[in-house]
Amino acid sequence: MLRIVATIRKEWLLLLRDKAGLALLFIMPMVLITVMAVIQDAPFKDYQEVKFDILTVDNDHGRLARYIKQGLGNTGQFNMLDSLDGRPVTSEDAIKRVNSGEYKISIVIPKGATASIVSNANRIVNDISKRMGLPSELPVKATNDTLHVQVYFDPAAKKAFRSAIHQAIDNFLTQVETDLLLERIRQQLKSRNSTETDTFPAINLKAVGLKEQTTSAEKRIDVISNSVQHNVPAWSIFAMFFIVIPIAGNMIREREDGSLLRMKLIPGSYLQILTGKMFFFVSICVVQFYLMILVGMYLLPLLDLPRLALGRDHVAAFITAISIGLAATSYGILVGTLFRTPNQALSFGAISIVILSAIGGIWIPLDIMPENIQFMGRLSPLSWGLDAINDLYLRNGGLGMILTEIGRLLLFCMVLLGVAAWWEKRRMA
Amino acid sequence: MNSITVKDLFKTYKGALQPTLEGLSFSFPEGKITGLLGPNGAGKTTTISILCGLVRADSGEVRIHELLQGAAHREAIKKVIGIVPQQIALFPQLTAIENLVYFGNLYGLKGKSLRTKVENYLEQFGLEKAGNKEVHKFSGGMKRRTNIIAAILHDPQLLVLDEPTAGVDVQSRSMILQFLREYNKKGVSVLYTSHLLEEAQSLCEEVVIMDEGKLIIQGQPMALIQQNAGCRNLEDVFLHYTGHALRD
Repeated sequence: MLRIVATIRKEWLLLLRDKAGLALLFIMPMVLITVMAVIQDAPFKDYQEVKFDILTVDNDHGRLARYIKQGLGNTGQFNMLDSLDGRPVTSEDAIKRVNSGEYKISIVIPKGATASIVSNANRIVNDISKRMGLPSELPVKATNDTLHVQVYFDPAAKKAFRSAIHQAIDNFLTQVETDLLLERIRQQLKSRNSTETDTFPAINLKAVGLKEQTTSAEKRIDVISNSVQHNVPAWSIFAMFFIVIPIAGNMIREREDGSLLRMKLIPGSYLQILTGKMFFFVSICVVQFYLMILVGMYLLPLLDLPRLALGRDHVAAFITAISIGLAATSYGILVGTLFRTPNQALSFGAISIVILSAIGGIWIPLDIMPENIQFMGRLSPLSWGLDAINDLYLRNGGLGMILTEIGRLLLFCMVLLGVAAWWEKRRMA
Repeated sequence: MNSITVKDLFKTYKGALQPTLEGLSFSFPEGKITGLLGPNGAGKTTTISILCGLVRADSGEVRIHELLQGAAHREAIKKVIGIVPQQIALFPQLTAIENLVYFGNLYGLKGKSLRTKVENYLEQFGLEKAGNKEVHKFSGGMKRRTNIIAAILHDPQLLVLDEPTAGVDVQSRSMILQFLREYNKKGVSVLYTSHLLEEAQSLCEEVVIMDEGKLIIQGQPMALIQQNAGCRNLEDVFLHYTGHALRD
């Protein structure tokens, strides 16, 4: 025990003397997650929370145009603009402005669009009436041309964004067509079978609706993935893994300055010294993690970002932080054992962490990556850590839910320490 | 009883064309200061590394105080032996006291007794005012002296020093040699390597001259000088046996 405590104290003194190292371990990660959370805030809103201007060219002046403008306007995500500088927007102007990127979307509603929908509804009602033996009376257009509501997107707009807008307008078209059809049926029935005082029940096609619910066991908690919820845990794990640099540097320096040699000449297992070293660096990782969490809870809301939600099982989160710390520390020990110079270790350590984080879903969620990258990403210890944190913070899970990830992190730690021990033994021979 | 017994030691490093040790054998009794001498590449550092269990020999036998070096006695031998490596094996960013207390703790020493021991040694080595100074700010001589203290905190019965006076000034060297003589008088055996043969001649009761991984000759310095006609000092004896060819 004395050897372990003495090593922890020694590492602490060495860290205190290394001001740049202290800044690298604590201040840089705090700056990193703040910057990442702020700059990724907009993309993470995924067009759901951002308000866009839509240039609307209404050549129809009918119910369809009204429905589309009101419907999109009521979502709260769009400002419907049909005039600029006091003049109505023309098709040419709208296309030009969207193409230049000044506006993201423009909708051109063609002349006669509502008339076309009315005519189509009348044709259906007439057909039904005829089949029921009723005289058909409603007027229809002689030709049955299909008109199109034209949508123009900024060429730089993402596919998902285009698809969402497309779907929303399509819904409004369907809604207008359904409304007009029901209205015509009601009129037809009213004119044939009732007196003036009859009231007809409103026809409601929405017998079954759609309602989003939380999957969380704790109903009051309904966290959604946002910039803070992704970036704070993700970049905290990234920063924790950057402990590889000081650990590997520390080990190589000890080998170069001969202090490792002296430690090996002293009776007693080197494993105790290594345990002290690991305990110290894992503690640093855990402190880093909770500092980042505090940033997510108290600093980021001051920057108009959502507050980080922590889930319900804080013990499981602590165990996760320790497991990530163990995985990161063992990786540092392996790198420090394998490489001979600090420069080699520094370059390899930094680049490998960046790669493991990129494929492990730290930068962007793993789910939106190509399938083969997802497969590789699932092998990254950073993705195991992030999965565990997401299970706790987003899915509101407990320890039982993250046992697989914890097991993987601990196994990773043991395998890496085993390889480092084997390599060191081989070096002695 | 012999302090060190080395028998038929062979060692070839992986990838090396020549063996580093080729049947090396020597021994010396307890309580003496013995010099292990040889030109560069003779195999002195490898021999010391095998003695303290840092490197495994391909074959042969090493006994320290009759304990056979190997997995069974490695820990017991570490307790008996104190090593002063050629490198300054200290943490440069820690002070002398922090270094010595840490290494003392690793030896299982603690508390006031350790602190007193560290302070006494610092005083003995003229470092009492530098105890709270970081080692990287020390002169070469101060580092060498601190390096020796770190090896004797656990009161070893055998002290092995690999070029302990390399790169130090005359005053520091004189102090180190004086300390070794006094330390030896307490009954501690000393094995010492150096390229400074005048120093070895004045300090050592016995010398072992080795070259190309083999023992060349062993004996008391004065006896070796007398045995070889035309040799006026240990350096002449050394050159007589190892030749004048440069070793790089």
